[in-house]
Amino acid sequence: MDAYLAAIAIIALIYMLLSLGLTLQYGLTGLINFGHVGFFAIGAYTSALLSLQGLPLALTIPAAAVTAGLAAWPIGLISLRLRDDYFAIVTLGFSETVRLVITSEKWLTNGVQGIPGIPRLFETISVGIGAQLAVMGLILAVTLAAIYAMRRIVASPFGRVIEAIRDNEEALQALGKDPAGFKIQVLILGSALAGIAGAFYAHYITYIVPDQFIPLVTFYVWMAIIIGGVGRVSGAIVGTGLLMLFLEGSRFLRDIVPGVSEVEMASLRIGVVGLLLVLFTIYRPQGLMGDFTKR
Amino acid sequence: MFYAQLAVNGLVQGLVVGLGALALTLVFGIARFPNAATGDTMTFGAYTALTVHKASGSLALGSIAAVGGAAVLALVAYLTVFKRLAGRSVVSLLVASIGIGFMIRAGLGVAFGHQQQVFNVPLSRPIRIAGLAINPLDLQLATVAVVALAAVFAILYLTPIGRQMRAVADNRDLARVSGIRPERVMTAMWLIAGGVSAVGGMMLGIKTIVSPEVGWEMLLPIFAATILGGIGSPVGAVVAGLVLGVAQEVSTPFVGFTYKIALSFVVLLAVLLVRPRGLFGRIEGVR
Repeated sequence: MDAYLAAIAIIALIYMLLSLGLTLQYGLTGLINFGHVGFFAIGAYTSALLSLQGLPLALTIPAAAVTAGLAAWPIGLISLRLRDDYFAIVTLGFSETVRLVITSEKWLTNGVQGIPGIPRLFETISVGIGAQLAVMGLILAVTLAAIYAMRRIVASPFGRVIEAIRDNEEALQALGKDPAGFKIQVLILGSALAGIAGAFYAHYITYIVPDQFIPLVTFYVWMAIIIGGVGRVSGAIVGTGLLMLFLEGSRFLRDIVPGVSEVEMASLRIGVVGLLLVLFTIYRPQGLMGDFTKR
Repeated sequence: MFYAQLAVNGLVQGLVVGLGALALTLVFGIARFPNAATGDTMTFGAYTALTVHKASGSLALGSIAAVGGAAVLALVAYLTVFKRLAGRSVVSLLVASIGIGFMIRAGLGVAFGHQQQVFNVPLSRPIRIAGLAINPLDLQLATVAVVALAAVFAILYLTPIGRQMRAVADNRDLARVSGIRPERVMTAMWLIAGGVSAVGGMMLGIKTIVSPEVGWEMLLPIFAATILGGIGSPVGAVVAGLVLGVAQEVSTPFVGFTYKIALSFVVLLAVLLVRPRGLFGRIEGVR
């Protein structure tokens, strides 16, 4: 039971990192990134492949952040020239293209067979609850650092500028600020967070295949921040908690309600994600933690 | 000759993309948001056609049921969700359309399972025309697509409701003050978009397989074709769909089977960066 709870906590923290990255990009800056899972995948594969070459994880995980951040750079350059909805389509296409590349480039990624035997974090501690807790502690520390950084960003001049980009880009330009550089920085930062999340994921699960990086993951994260409340760090935290409750809860539901097969459950899960996206968009666009006074 | 053969094969694929892009571009032009549920509406059409075809053995009945079913589905989505979100930001509509797409996919997954299904159509010997092997089934599918396209274009360009739709696409406020009722235009538009998606989905199902994900996986080529054709341009969507379908097939020997899908992404990027109004689009101030 302890091991199970620790496992859920680790996955929840990984999703939390993804949510924080998206909160920075969409919640604060208004960049509709529908390709979050692409950067997650880049981070996972980068760290997995480098660590299998014998590099220490202390190097490969930062490398994952750097690669994912670098991958966001050209996307950022493109985003400057596109309207919101086009940018959403381009990022969605990007994440699908990433998945195609890792599926096709067998020499590097072993294609659909995936990469097995990725080194764990804290390999010196034997498998068990101790190792689990150590991993959890490390990811928790990184997540808390990210939350702290986000809170500082929100309170900083940088935070005010990116929120102004979201609210009224023209007005900001009229004030003599250049949104372009800020957008690129935000994209790189958010994607680097996704890359770190990917690296932790790879080293925790120790086995990655392209099918783990489908767009559904992106929309899990979207669901989390929409339910929690877009543009609020607290929203990302609450939303991710609820997302995990939903993902794990649906697993138990299957034990209680007989006659629901695993594939049906997978379908139902997608359906509930869809329904929640629709309901929250219509009835509560500010999310649970959002401003209650306005709609 | 080899490439000519590939191009011919690509035409049917291109019609599928073109039909999807036509549905997308109608919504984009008139309701002003990219409807990410288009792919899943296609899947719905494919499953409806498959079920009716299995039950009755008639593809004609199947296609009629698919068109009707998907048209109603699209209208229901409009009435229950998109209508309430009118006036909200594009993101709201886009996220809601993704939600609707997920719900459709979930419903199909629960109802039909995840195993791939195929249309049981008789195999036939290809006809040779000028050295090109043409599958009679492809010819039939192409005919169905052309008939569907002709019907849509006839509605758009020959009927009062079509004229009103084009007016709303052109300038919503001007259309309103001219006495055009947006409600009726929207209803007609969603019915047509749903029906057109269904024809595309059914063709896709007959040509390849039917599974809950087939439509969603077509979304990228469809978006690419819509943008290549110019947002809101029905002719452009179909032409761009054909171009993309042929380009995908012809490029396969060079880039391999998996990367032919990535071609859509490249086309999408290139068009957005170089010529954002597409081939047939009007000059707009935004991109």
